[in-house]
Order: sequence, then structure tokens, then C-alpha cells
Amino acid sequence: MLDKPASALRLRERLLDSERLMEETGCYDGITELSLRNQDPLKFETLHTKLRAYCVSAREMARRISASPGVREVGEMVVAIYTPEGDAIALSNGIMVHVHTMSRFIKWMIKNNYEENPRIREGDIFANNDAFIGTVQVPDVMDVVPIFHEGTLVGWAGAVCHELEAGGITPGGDVCLAQERFTEGLFVCAEKIGENDEIRRDYVIRCERNLRMPIYWVLDEKAKVASCIDMRESVKQLISEIGLDYWMKVSKEFIEEGRRAQLARTRQLTVPGIYRGHTFYGHVTAGKPGFQLLGDPDWLYNIPIEMEITTDGKITMDFEGTQPWGYHSMNCTPAGMDGGMFVTLTQHMNFEGLVNDGAWMATELKLPHGTWTNPDNEMVATATSWALLLPAYGVFQRLLSRGFIARGFVEEAFVGQVNSPMIEMGGESQYGTPFGMAHFECAAAGSGALAIADGLDTAYVGWNPESDMGNIEVWEQSMPMVYIGRSIVPNSGGAGKYRGGCSFVSTWLINKTSHLRLHTSEHSSRVFDNGGLCGGYPAPTCQKHRAVRNSNIHELAAKGAPLAHAPGIDPHVSDYEKNIGGDHVVVEGPYITSPHKSGDIFSHSYNGGGGYGDVLERDPIKTAWDVENGFLTREASENVFGIILKDDADGYPLADIDATVKRRAEMRKARLAKAIPVADWIAAERGRVEQADFAPEVKKMYASAIKLSQRFTRDFSDFWNVDARSIFMPGAKP
Amino acid sequence: MTAYSKEVLRDLAAGQLPWPQTRRIMSAYKDDDRFFKMVAVYQDRVAWKDPILLPVSDHLFICQSGDERITRCECGHSFGDYRKNWKLKAAIHVRNTEEALREIYPNSDIPDPQWMEIREFICPRCGTLHEVEAAAPGYPIVHDFEPDLEGFYRDWLGKPL
Repeated sequence: MLDKPASALRLRERLLDSERLMEETGCYDGITELSLRNQDPLKFETLHTKLRAYCVSAREMARRISASPGVREVGEMVVAIYTPEGDAIALSNGIMVHVHTMSRFIKWMIKNNYEENPRIREGDIFANNDAFIGTVQVPDVMDVVPIFHEGTLVGWAGAVCHELEAGGITPGGDVCLAQERFTEGLFVCAEKIGENDEIRRDYVIRCERNLRMPIYWVLDEKAKVASCIDMRESVKQLISEIGLDYWMKVSKEFIEEGRRAQLARTRQLTVPGIYRGHTFYGHVTAGKPGFQLLGDPDWLYNIPIEMEITTDGKITMDFEGTQPWGYHSMNCTPAGMDGGMFVTLTQHMNFEGLVNDGAWMATELKLPHGTWTNPDNEMVATATSWALLLPAYGVFQRLLSRGFIARGFVEEAFVGQVNSPMIEMGGESQYGTPFGMAHFECAAAGSGALAIADGLDTAYVGWNPESDMGNIEVWEQSMPMVYIGRSIVPNSGGAGKYRGGCSFVSTWLINKTSHLRLHTSEHSSRVFDNGGLCGGYPAPTCQKHRAVRNSNIHELAAKGAPLAHAPGIDPHVSDYEKNIGGDHVVVEGPYITSPHKSGDIFSHSYNGGGGYGDVLERDPIKTAWDVENGFLTREASENVFGIILKDDADGYPLADIDATVKRRAEMRKARLAKAIPVADWIAAERGRVEQADFAPEVKKMYASAIKLSQRFTRDFSDFWNVDARSIFMPGAKP
Repeated sequence: MTAYSKEVLRDLAAGQLPWPQTRRIMSAYKDDDRFFKMVAVYQDRVAWKDPILLPVSDHLFICQSGDERITRCECGHSFGDYRKNWKLKAAIHVRNTEEALREIYPNSDIPDPQWMEIREFICPRCGTLHEVEAAAPGYPIVHDFEPDLEGFYRDWLGKPL
């Protein structure tokens, strides 16, 4: 099956042929034998290493062309090389979620006859940010260029940057206010935006006239095109060295090898069986300005996941039972769901060998039609799809970790993902110019714990394995706010034998502007979305914002009076209220209010990760260090972990082992005294279920899940021994 | 082939291996003999004699107990047939008030107990906290893991159960 030279067939036929061969043989492009790898494995591996080097080098060059601190500082970018049919062969580091979403974009163009119109020619540049074609959300703008060899299309080079401003109804890109597609910003729907290696002027004009800060987008376009051209020329040079036929064969063998490697990796690291988990997402918009009355204002999302690992190593993730799409910005498309799968696999399993689209082909996603994972309406908004996507893949990480633990690879178990809320802003900059941008310090939140160690403090985010918050000074150059505080939030990691990584909170003074709009998204209000594992607790939520309008901070500073630089540890009265005069505001969930002006203060915090293991097994010595360094409070040490601290001669906390042993024995006894048999709890709780004695949002959640899923209905009914439909959908047709 | 001694794996599982060594294990090729060695590490840890067939959590194991295969706590308490959800045989403590949640989250933002509760699944004999579920009120207790034990041993380990 390998003897397929560069085909004269049209791309569409080649793509359909490739899909048919995969269907018939179970192997990518019908490659049942890795003959080139077997003939000369060193040449095979060296070539792939070269391709990966092309990608990494092109991305690093592009980061230096970009104007955006998001790309330059934080690395919100990825590049990849594809087959003619659009399957990823090799990729760079970065936001790897987009490697497969770009694949969907290329395939979409091929299937929509772009060969005929607008034609695919050497030097063409195509762009897309439509999630129903292939991306996650509008700010993820992708460019691809075809690679030709003597007139035949032999591959594609692609690049994605996350733009800081997308021209939506609110500034930034994760547009929390978007309730339909029409408010999300500037859409580029698989368009030819350049010819002869040059971006079209009319496209640039469109960007300049539709974006608050076009310099980010336009210079990022140039960065992406430069990286694509760089990769294209490298691949062409490589083909001249190895020959076209070898390239066409080896590039596809790389993918089949990647598919086989993923299957083997699953068989090596996990245990076959059925894994289940769930998470929830709460979204509270009732009474907030700007939201249209298109749907209910407050939402509770249920995300149950059933993962099956079969004995051949295939992983299938099934989202049946989850919620319908809604008139909000948190819907996702199958492209986005694929992206989540890809970035999780590349971080947690497929981190050696040939990483490419083959990993994706060794898995399957079951995305029920009509749900937020696969909307049956292309008008829905996906501007903040990470809000639901990320918690879902946090569950996936925990399910995989169960497999790693069962197999004995405890060092790979990782409680995982966080959904870190993003802050965006716009209005008048400190330079007196219009501006809009997203702030990406959220890319360094706290991770979940490992099965052998605490999680990473302020150093992890699920979507980019190269987590980096960037430099404060660089962000300050881009926004009319100056930091007056950034600090660890104590106890923000989930408690456990190993605690989750802690998050941080930033406090800003709005500066040199009379009009600053601040908006946030991806806040999970009223529910936990970062679970723990093996007895570890979920990480706390971080849905509260605190602001002081018309503050007296300048007068206080002039007098040298104490200021507040963080909210502090009193959950009821913040340090701002204690130290700073003005109008104090606390907002739950997405922050959307009237504009701020100079002298106002604003604070925003990020997520920590879930814990691992029983809290009563936590190391007292490590905990004393945590208290000394502000990761845990003394109160938590004693009351949550049962660890008694005393002070050493210099006043530093020291673990009192004997007192700790005594305290823990008491806590264990109290735990047993409070607990009841699960059977008794079920019997007592059934009455509440039969009465549907739940908050309106909870009832609505059950009703919508039951409407969409027979399996969820059956599982719910069987568990409680009730008729779920008659309880939550009274009067509905059977 | 990469391989580690039982002592190294014991310290790794206990979180007591020095970080540089742990890091090397994470980055190296995986050791193909890990499963049975790790089972031996766990077997040394428990006071009971039933052979461990599969670790399922930090202190829970599926073991062969006579003719039965059961989920057993490290302390020895049996949660019954491994194919059934062990949580249904556990003790439970539910935190569904602000006061109860504040015991775990003294200074942080916490959920609305009307929207979400914490369920702690506890060994009724030793009091070990085996699992914590965060779920909306009324949500069925989830069966976390149903391993294909037969398939695992037969097809992946190449050894009969």
C-alpha cells in the first residue's frame, strides 16, 4: 500500500481515498507496514527530527516578529507541517491544541472544492478563525500555505496565534458577552488572504477597520506567514535531498507510526476498562449589564465523561449526558473538542516518539449532537469555549491518572487541568489611543497535585505546556493599569496528602485613563471545576472580583499610609475594605460593569489545582514550610490537615509531630463519627430527589440532560430507583 | 530495558525518592516490569495475605480473596465484589452547608451549597478518606473505574489471573 507517489488526483479525491483506506485497513492511508522505517530506522527518525526542528525554529522566529505580548512573552502560538490531505506530520511546542484544528481547516477547504474556487496555488495564503471550520474560538487565527513541488501540492505549512483583540462586542478575544456568533468579532472563514507570499492589502484594511488594536493581529499575520514560508522552504529543500516519492511515503508513515505509538503507549501505561468522572461548570449572568435576554441567565453545566480503553489500546471518550448548547459564549465545536484531546494526549501520554495526528487517530470522541460539545446550530457563540472544554479535559486527565496508578506508574498521575479565568480590557490606553487586549498572565495558574508530590504553584495551564505568565513590565506597557500587588493565594490548591498548586491574585491601580472597560471570562461560579483524586479535595473556586471605585489611594500614598496589595485571607472583609477608602464592589463570576477610570483599584485571581490523597497523610514538615512561605495558613494547617505548628527560636513555624499525631487521631475519630453508611444516605436523600427539592438551575440541568440522553435518564432512575422523566419533565411525552 | 529495584519503586510510591531521581524516572523510557514490581511493593505494605491483583486508588486494591475478587482497603476492610461500585459500601460525609465547606476552604471562594456539595467516601473501619466527589445535589454517585481485569492480564500482561 505504500507505493503511492505524489498523486495526480485532485486533492478531494486523495482525501476521500485516504479516509476510505483508513476505514478499510484500520491504518492511516492504508499503510499496513512501516517499510521505510524498517528499511532504515535511523534515516526515518532523523528526518522526523529535522521536521520537528523546522517547526520549532519557525515558531521561535515568528515570536520575534509578533507585536503581541501574548505571542512574544507567553508563546500563545504553534506551527505544524501537514500532508496534502491535511494530516499533521510534525509540530512545534506551544498551543498544541490547534494542531488538529488546523487539520480540520485544511480538510474543510479541500472538501469544499477550494481547488476550483478560489483555487490553491503556490504562494497562496489561507486564513481561518471559524470554529465550525476548524479552530477553537475567534481569537485563534490560523494561516496555512500550500507546499508545491514541481507543480504538485505535496503538503501544507500552518501556524496559529492567539490574538489579544478580536473585535467583538467586548474588547479582547474571549468575549464573555457573546451570546450568538454575531457578537464574537472579526470572522475569517477559510479565506484566501494572500497571494505570491504577500498578505492582501484589502484584508489588512478589513483588519484595521474592525479591530480595536489591529497591530497585534496584522503583525501576527506577518509572523505566521513568515513561519509558514520558512517551513515550506525547508520542506522543499528536504524533498530535493530525499526525493519526492520518499517524502510522500515517509510523511505518511510518520503519521501511521504516531498512531501505532499512541496505541502502544496506552497499552503500556494504563489498564483497559471503563473509567468515569464528571465535572460541573456554573455561569452566573443574572442582572449583569449587556446580556441579551435570549436564554436563562444562570447556567449549571453537567459534564459526565465515560472513557473506555479497549485491549487494543484505543481510547474512546463519550460525553453523553452532558448539556445542550446555549445562548452564551461557552459552546464548543468538534474541532475544539479534538483540540482538547490532542493537547491532553501530547502532554500526558504521547510525549516521546513521533507526535502528530496519528495520536488523534488512535482515539475517538463521542460528542452528542445538540450539546455544547457538538452544537446543531452554527450560529452559536464559541468565544469562551475553554470554559467548558478545559474542565472536561481536566476530567480526562484524572481518568488517565487512574489508569497510570492502576498500572503502577504513579509518577505520571497528575490531577491536572485548571480552568483559569481570563481578564480582558479595552477603551482608552495610557497613551490616549483606542486599545483592546487580553491579559495572559492566566497562563501560569496552579496545577493539580501529582500522586507523589504537590502540584505546581503558579506555573501551569492546560492549553499550553510551556506555561508562562510573562513579565509584569511588558504587560504594564500594554494596558493603562499598574500592578500594586501580585501574590500567592494561600490555601488555593486543593487539600490533600499532596496539595494542588497555588494560584495568585493580581491587584492593579487603573492609571492614566478615563475609560477602561474590564471584562473577565471562564469563571466557574458557585461550583468546583477542579476536582481532586484519591481522597484529595477540589481546588477552591475563584469567582469573586473586588474593585474600589473612586479610591483614596493617591492620598494614602502621599501620606505614606498603609495600602492593601491583595484581598487578604478574611473571606468576609477584604484588606481593601480595611485599608482603602472609596466605593467597594464585589462581583461574582464574569466581571462586566461600567468603565473604570484612573484611581480605581481592581483585583483578579486565578485557579489552583485539585489535591491528591487523604489530607491526614500530609507531611507536617512540608506543611511548616508551606505556612512559612505563604502557600498555606496556620488555620488550614491545623483544621484541614491536622498539623500542629509551633514557632522555633526565630519565630518560624515548626511542625509539632507529637501534637499532630494526637490531633489527627481525634480528627479521624470525628470523621468516622460524622459519616454514615452510603446506603443510609441514599435512602434519606431519595425523598429530596422525588420532590426535586433543588435550586432552579439544578432542576433545569437535570431536565435538559434527561431530555437529551436516554442513558443519563436510565442511570439516574436506576440509582435513585425513581422515574427521572416524571420528576424533572412532568407532562413530557414518554 | 529500563528497570528499577523494588526499593526504588517503594520510595517513589511513598513520595520519598529525591526529586532529581524522580525526574529521571519520569523522563526515561518506562520500565516494562513495573506492574508486578509495584504490586509487590503494595503487597509488602498491607498486613493481609490476599494477593493483590490491581491497585485502584491510593489505598484501595482489587485482590483475590478465596474464590472472590474484591475491592479491599489497605486496612483490610472489604468493599465487596470488585465489579460493583465500592463507594456504595463506604461511609459518607456530605458537606452541603457553607459552614461545612468553610472547614476545608477557610479563606477562599466556595461554591453555593444549593448548586454543589462535597461527598467524602470513607473507609468505615480505618477512617481513610478514599475519594471526594464534588457534585450537584441529587447527582448519582459515580462508579469511577471498572477495569477489564481478565483482558488486562490475558492480553497485556500475558499472564493468567
